[in-house]
Formats: sequence, structure tokens, C-alpha cells
Amino acid sequence: MGIKTVKPGQADIGLILEGTYPYVRGGVSSWIHQLIQGLPELTFAINFIGDKAESYSTLHYELPENVIDLKNIYLISKNKQIKPKSRIGNEDAFIQVREMYKEFRRNNSSNNSQALGNVLQQIHKFKNLDINDFLYSEQSWAFITEQYEKGTEDSSFLDYFWTVRAMHQPIFSLIDALDNVVDAKVFHTISTGYAGLFGVMLHHLYDKKLILTEHGIYTKERKIDLSQADWINEAEKIFGDTLNSDFSYLRQLWIRFFESLGRTIYEVANPIISISEGNKRRQIIDGAKVDKISVIANGINLDKLKPQRIKRPEQIPLVIGFIGRVVPIKDVRTFIRAMSNVCSALPEVQAWIIGGEDEDPDYALECRDMIASLHLTDHIIYKGFCNVVEILPQLGCMVLSSISEGVPLVILEAFACGIPVVSTDVGACRELIEGGSEEDKALGAAGAVVSIADPEQLAIEMIKLLSDSNYWKQLSSIAEKRADNYFGEQALFTSYRKVYQKALEK
Amino acid sequence: MAGIGFELRKLLNKNSLFGLLQAYGYAGIISSGPWVLSILGIMAVGILSVHLKTQSDIVLSFLISITYLMAFSIIFGGWVQLMLTRFISDLFYAKKQNEIIPNLLGALIVTTFSSLAVALLCWSLFLDQSLYYRLLMLSNLVLLSNIWILVVMLSGLRAYKKVLGAFVIGYGLTIGFSLLFRRYGLEGLLGGFLLGQSIMMYLMLGLIVHEYSASSLVRFDFLDRSKVFYSLAAISIIYNLGVWVDKFVFWFNPVTSESILGPLRSSIIYDPPIFLSYLSIIPGMAVFLLRMEADFVDKYEEFYHAIRNGGSLSTIRRLKKLMIDTIRSSFFEIFKVQALTVTILIFAADDILRLFSISTNYRMLFAIDVAAVGVQVVLLGVFNVFFYLDKRLIILNLTIFFLLSNFTLTIISQRLGPIFYGYGFALSILITTILGFIILNQKLARLEFETFMLQR
Repeated sequence: MGIKTVKPGQADIGLILEGTYPYVRGGVSSWIHQLIQGLPELTFAINFIGDKAESYSTLHYELPENVIDLKNIYLISKNKQIKPKSRIGNEDAFIQVREMYKEFRRNNSSNNSQALGNVLQQIHKFKNLDINDFLYSEQSWAFITEQYEKGTEDSSFLDYFWTVRAMHQPIFSLIDALDNVVDAKVFHTISTGYAGLFGVMLHHLYDKKLILTEHGIYTKERKIDLSQADWINEAEKIFGDTLNSDFSYLRQLWIRFFESLGRTIYEVANPIISISEGNKRRQIIDGAKVDKISVIANGINLDKLKPQRIKRPEQIPLVIGFIGRVVPIKDVRTFIRAMSNVCSALPEVQAWIIGGEDEDPDYALECRDMIASLHLTDHIIYKGFCNVVEILPQLGCMVLSSISEGVPLVILEAFACGIPVVSTDVGACRELIEGGSEEDKALGAAGAVVSIADPEQLAIEMIKLLSDSNYWKQLSSIAEKRADNYFGEQALFTSYRKVYQKALEK
Repeated sequence: MAGIGFELRKLLNKNSLFGLLQAYGYAGIISSGPWVLSILGIMAVGILSVHLKTQSDIVLSFLISITYLMAFSIIFGGWVQLMLTRFISDLFYAKKQNEIIPNLLGALIVTTFSSLAVALLCWSLFLDQSLYYRLLMLSNLVLLSNIWILVVMLSGLRAYKKVLGAFVIGYGLTIGFSLLFRRYGLEGLLGGFLLGQSIMMYLMLGLIVHEYSASSLVRFDFLDRSKVFYSLAAISIIYNLGVWVDKFVFWFNPVTSESILGPLRSSIIYDPPIFLSYLSIIPGMAVFLLRMEADFVDKYEEFYHAIRNGGSLSTIRRLKKLMIDTIRSSFFEIFKVQALTVTILIFAADDILRLFSISTNYRMLFAIDVAAVGVQVVLLGVFNVFFYLDKRLIILNLTIFFLLSNFTLTIISQRLGPIFYGYGFALSILITTILGFIILNQKLARLEFETFMLQR
């Protein structure tokens, strides 16, 4: 698909997007699409970062008119056909690298960015360090073995070595991409990680301002990614617990790496935008300066959802909606277990699972087996992907049993339709259901919050909601009010307009 | 030498003096057997013919013909040898033993045609000779080239007593037939040689085919660029050229040589002791094979096993040190045994020369040759370590250096006069070996760096 070039030249805002819009569907992607469309007076350029070209072949969104350019950067480069040749490596460059890692290892360091900047100068300005130095030089070998010996004594050196390579090679792909970056006056990264790092590079080398918005928590998502990484799990299965320490060491290595990157990005980015109070608190713990953080909540197009309210039937529908993909992170099994209790209390009840099963076929099969063994086949119905807007008025309540979430858009949408929500206490769910600011909290709760992996509690809340119509109506009206007052997308646009204008002025 | 280490270790594990002797004996036969036996065989034919009053010029023509056959078959027919050895090791590793025989047959076919091509290229040089002579030379060249291929395979066989038997029968018949047909002159001797060697070849082929099952008749996978290393063919050719180049220089310098038969020349002043001196490599080669294939390979495998299976860096470094220690002690043992052998042979030079009906005037040249050949065993050891470390390019460069230095230094030694004869060859081997040690030392120091870092 081609890119429409409306206005050639420098864009106002350069978005740095890792593994998301416009190639991947999802909450964050929808948010980006919404933001670009909501600010038509600004032009956007997109630097998309993905692991490899094959994974991102089709655009899943039609790019708005004000996106003037899109460039893909791939972290895993394939141009290493040359035969490896050993080299000595520049000593000065590796002195700076050592300094940088010393800084990274210090807790509460506030010089990460400076140390990284010095290394970037060595790489980009003085050409003292390139990918071949990293891969094939004696200096690099000395540094890697030194770091290994500092960190561990008995874990597999082979795994350590390839982990270090896998971590750092993408950095050089980013550096290569710097030379033909899609330019913009101000850059805005939507996560930390490699995308944030790219922003830091642009800041150091081209003196660009960097804005950071965090939806999820990169480090935390990576943690879950890593704990589910196939090869780590496979090895644990084969070798049992004896090698556990090895793999948890590698996992720690990744986590520390992304944490260090995170802190560095927090030093450079201004402002740091959080989508919820909870996220803000976590950012502070992870090293972000409190005076740089502002919270801009997500918003939705209320005009599209409000008309759905009248489509709700007179009687509370005995239908529970589970909206989300059937994957472990959504903890569908806890939901199914809870449904077993709900069905004994309310035999008429139905649950709809609205979302795809293709992402993790093994897990999906486990879920179906579980439904069968608990005799719930008549009660739990798979709907596949559906238009959420159409389906919401048919629900009596919406349930999230996830073990991790950011700010789930479906809660906003459910509230806009007046549907109460029962959710686990993850991400911004409590904030959404019980209110963020004091004023917001005064409205009351529009649902219930339970702990993760607690099917009994989850069932109790669902039963309570569906069997007491007065209670239900009270919650439903709080949901509507909360949506009307706080979830409108205009507030989101206004806030970002201000952020962008301020950055462009300076 | 796939599989041989296992056999040797089994013999060593018997933990008895006899087991140890058996292991050394076996290693000696496997490592130097074919080469040494062929020298012994030729000499025996020569000596016996002389004693049986065959015309001396016929015997001389026969010996020269066989010498040239040996040289050309080893240089131009042996190029497949190393490639096939490596390929078969890989087959063992991949547990695809049933592809060994088909590829061996493929290699024999390729060798037959390539040596036939070499023979036909030389055909016109021998137009003065009888048609029988030309046909016999052609057949013998093809036959010997094929035998070198089969010899490679024998080392992998467990039935080493039968292997030894095949050699004894083969060479016994070769000598017997040659003597039997000697009254038909040069052609008779060559014909007897051909008949005896043919029987030996079929015995060897029979033993090998008996050992493995086969998935198909013929395969040419060993020529597949993605599976083999053509640099091994180059190493083969260049190394063997290096071994023979000083002889060529003496043969084709009119001052040091004379024409024996058509284009075949020999150097009466240079040749006699060199072939005899090669007999001295037996003890060194036996130690070499035993230490390298049994001890070194053990440590080598431990080292790479640690790398692949999650060893820590300190474990990897400790095992590397152990491996280097084994290499060092292996070389030290080869050196000890070979030095002792050389010393004894030099002291007994006159008696040995007399035993083989060679004039005692050659004693200086014999001493130099024996010393040089002793160093050559060490050089082979260096090559072997490089082969295990997969540093083919280094070996190739060393063999090129060896070829060029042997050529140049031999020419210089000729200019300097007869007392310097042999020093070109000896010095060339010595320098190449020292160079090899220096590079080996560097490579071993950087081994884990190169193992890890020089990967894509």
C-alpha cells in the first residue's frame, strides 16, 4: 500500500512507534489513529520500528491525510552476508561503553543519558564503534567476558553471549536508520524500549525534543513476554529446576536492560505523559521525575456510543461479555471457573467470549476442554471477533479477568453504553471503575474490582450485579455519568494539542 | 580417521602392556602402514631382482616407473582423499553410515577418471616406449590412485587384523608376481605389480563394503559444494607437491640427474636415502595417532561440549587449558620418540644402508633425510590440530609456504654444492613446522574469542 504524500517536507510531529500502528491492530493503535485524526491541523511523520520486515506487510489502518510520511525500521537486519573478520576495536569507544554500563548499573543514576550520549558520539560522530566492532572486535570480547564474570559465575556462557548479541544488535540497526530518518520538528515516542531509545538518539545527535507517552509498561510487558518465551520455558521443561537459575538470570538481564533504557528515556523525554494515575506512580518508582509527568487519560468518541444506550432491553440481559483474545494474559481460565459458580446460582445465564482464538491455539484448546469438563458448553458461547459497539447493549455486564492491562478501551466503551464492569485489579482498571480524581471518585463505582486469579470473588460480583436490578441500574447510571464527564475524546485532543504546541514553540 | 579413536581407546583401556603395544602397533600400521609398506614393497622387488640377476637397467627402469607412479597418483589422484575423509566424518556425525559406500564408489569413479585424464595427458611423452608399457603405466596409475582412496577408509574399520592381512597378502602377491613375470622384462615386472596391487585393492574394497550397509549404489554428495570443502582438495595437492618438489628439482636439473626411461629421470645422488628414511616415521606416527586421536580428541570434545551445553566461561577456559596441555604433551611425546628413533638410525646409518644395498657414501644425506622426515611427523601433528579446529585456510597457507620454500631452498642447496643436498628439504620442513607452531599458539590463545565472536 502506498503512502499518500500530502505535504512534502518536515512534519510537525514525528511519531516513533514500535510494533504497533499502522501494521498491528489493538488498543494502542486505535489510540494513535484517533489522536492523528483528532489533530488535523498538525502534520505527522511515522518512524515505525519492527523486528523484521516479514512480520509487517499490510497496513491495518488507512493513514489519515495529515500523515505525510511513513518509514519502517527493522531491528533484525539481514545484511550480514560478509564473512566475520576479527578486529581490534577502538579503546576510547569501549572506555565510554564501560562508563555507560557503570552508570546503568548504579541505582538512581541521573547521568544515564549523558553516558549514552558519549557513546553515541563515539559511534555516530567519531565513527569509533560500529556493528562490526560490537560483533567481531577483541575489545568487545574483553568487555562481554568482563561483564559476564561480574554478573554470574556458573550460568551458560553461550546463552549469555547470544542474549547480549540479541539485545544490542537492534541498537545498531537504529543507528543505521538515523541517516534517513523521517524528519520532524518534535518527536513523540509511544513507548520506552527501542522506540524510546531511538528518540534519545535523535535528541542527542540532532538536538530534537522528545515527548514520551506510555500506555503499557514496556518493561513489564517485556517481563511477561520473557516469562512466556518459548525457548526459556522449553529448557525449563526439559531440564527441570536445576537450570532455572540460568534462565532467570538471562531474564533478569533483559529486564535490567530495558529498565536502564527506560530510565535513560525518562531523563531525556519532556513531558512524560501517563494515561492513568496508577501508571504515573509506577513511572516515578521507575525513575521518572514527578514534575515532568502529566496524566492525559484516554478518551473515546462518545457521539458514536451514546446512541447505543437506548438499544438496551428493558430487562437486564443475563449475558456476561468477555471481550478479549483467548490468550494466557487475559486469564480466560479463571473466567471459565467463575462461570461455573455463576451458572449454579443463575441457571439462565450466558457468557459470550468475544475475541479471536488463533493467537495461542494450545491455550484456546485448553479453555475449550475446561468448558466441556465443567459442563458449561450450553452457557459459554464463542462469538469470535465482533463489532463491540453493536454487542455492548446486549450485555448485562462486562468482565475482564486479565493478569495485566494498561487502560483497557473496552471499559471506556462499556461505560459509554451504560454497562457495568467487573474487572481484576490490574493496570488502570480500578481507576476507571472507581474513579481517578476525588471528584470522579465521588460519583461512586460503576462496577467491581477483584483480585487476579480469584474465580470465587469474580463469581460473587457477577451474581450480585445480575441478580439485583436496583443495584444494576445504579451502577449503570454511574457508568454513563463517568463516561460523559471523563471519557470524551475532546479532552484528549485538547491536552495533546497543548503539549505539541508547547514543544513546537520552544 | 572416523572411528579410530574409539578403537584405540578400547585397546588402551585393557590396561596391560600387551594392550598398549597393540594400540601402538595398530596406530603405527594405520598411520604409516600403506606408505611404508609400498616403499618396502618396491625395495623388496628391486633387491630381490638384483639378487636373482635380473638385468640391472630393467630393475632401475622398474623402480623409476613405480616411483613416478607413486608421486603422480599421490599428487593428482589423491585430491579427493581429504575431502572424502572429512565428508565421511560428517556422515558418521550425522549418523548416515549407509551413505558411506555409495559415496566411496562415487569417489572411486571420480578418481578413476581424473587419474585417467592425467595418464592420457602424459601418453604422448612415452611414444618411444612399447604399447604394453604405456598401458601398464596407465593402469597402474589409475589403480594406485584408487588405492589411496581406499586406504583412508581402512582406518575406520574395526577388523584391523584383516586390514593388516590384506596388506601382507597384497604386497606378498605383488612381490611374488613381479618376480614370477620378471623374465618378461620391464613389462613383466609392471604386470606383476599391477596384478598384486589389483588383488590388494579388491581385498580392501571387500573389507570396506562388508563393514557398512548401503542405501544406494553410487552417490556424489562428497562433491556438493554446500557439504564439502574444496580447500581440502587444494591442501591435498599442494602438500603432496611440496613433499615431492625437491625430488623433481633434482630429477630435472641435468647436473644432478640422468634420463632413465624416456622422460623419466632420476637423481642417483639424491634419491636412494630419502625413500629409506621414510621408514623411520613409523614410531613417531604411531605415537602421533594414539595421542592425537585418543587423548587430544577427548579433550577437544569436552571443550566443545562445554561450550554447546551451557558451560560457564571459567569451565570453558579450564577445559581449553586442559586441551592445550594435551596438545603440548602429545607433541612432546612425538618429539621424544622421533628424536630417539632419529638418533639410533643415524648411529646405525652404515648398517642400515648396507642392509638395503645402498652405498654408505649416502650416510650424510640419509641422516639429514631422517631428521627432516622426523620433523615432518610433527608438522602433520600441527596440521591435524588445525583440522580439528577447522582452520583449513591456515593449513592451505602453510602447505603453500612449504611448497614454495622447499622449491626455493632446494634450488639454493643445489647451487651450494653436494654437501648441502637435502638441507633444502630439511630446512623447508623445519621452518614450516616452526611457523605452524607459532600460528597454532596464537590461534589457541584466541580460541574462545574466535569460536564465539567470529560468528554471524
